[in-house]
Amino acid sequence: MNRTQKIAWLFVITISLAVVSSLIAVAILYSKVGMPKALTGFALLGIVGFAGFGPVIFPKDKGKIICDERDTSINRKAAIAGFGASYLVVGLACMLPFSILGPHATVSVVWLPNIFMAAGLTSFFVHSVVILVLYGRGGKNG
Amino acid sequence: MGKVKIKNKLRQFRFENNQMTQAELADKAEVTRQTIIAIEAGQYSPSLELAIKIAKAFGKKVDDVFEYEE
Repeated sequence: MNRTQKIAWLFVITISLAVVSSLIAVAILYSKVGMPKALTGFALLGIVGFAGFGPVIFPKDKGKIICDERDTSINRKAAIAGFGASYLVVGLACMLPFSILGPHATVSVVWLPNIFMAAGLTSFFVHSVVILVLYGRGGKNG
Repeated sequence: MGKVKIKNKLRQFRFENNQMTQAELADKAEVTRQTIIAIEAGQYSPSLELAIKIAKAFGKKVDDVFEYEE
């Protein structure tokens, strides 16, 4: 497993952990204090910040060549998939309220940073998953 | 359109060249060992440039190492 895969695993684990724990926290807080105070449970999304230490935790790979055409190709495909997924999230976030609430409804601006965060998390998550899947095709040592 | 696959004789040529290791071939072709493993397993088709580098590492032509199958 190379450094890129290790960092991708760190992203997948931290993002999954952050999303699940924050949703549980919001559900618990909702039953105790109700909305909008329950939304403070999303503060647990800060767990994702640990993924930023990936490049520090995992040292550079040994060997003369640490990145070649296959690594570049995998990273490019993963980036495109990540961008596509985040674009889909933003698209759905814009279109669903329109189609559900109707053209004359109003939406609080509080949702805008949330949409931005959701798009970012989706992008990083999908990028990391695609990296793991594409390297995984290389077999045991891939 | 049928499934296109590029077969290779990397393993055979490595053993014919003093049992060259994947790491040694990777160094000669200037790629990572993971890429050599993926090519050898038929899970990655190298670029023309890389195919030429690999063939040169064996002292062969690209056609000798890689075979195009449809």
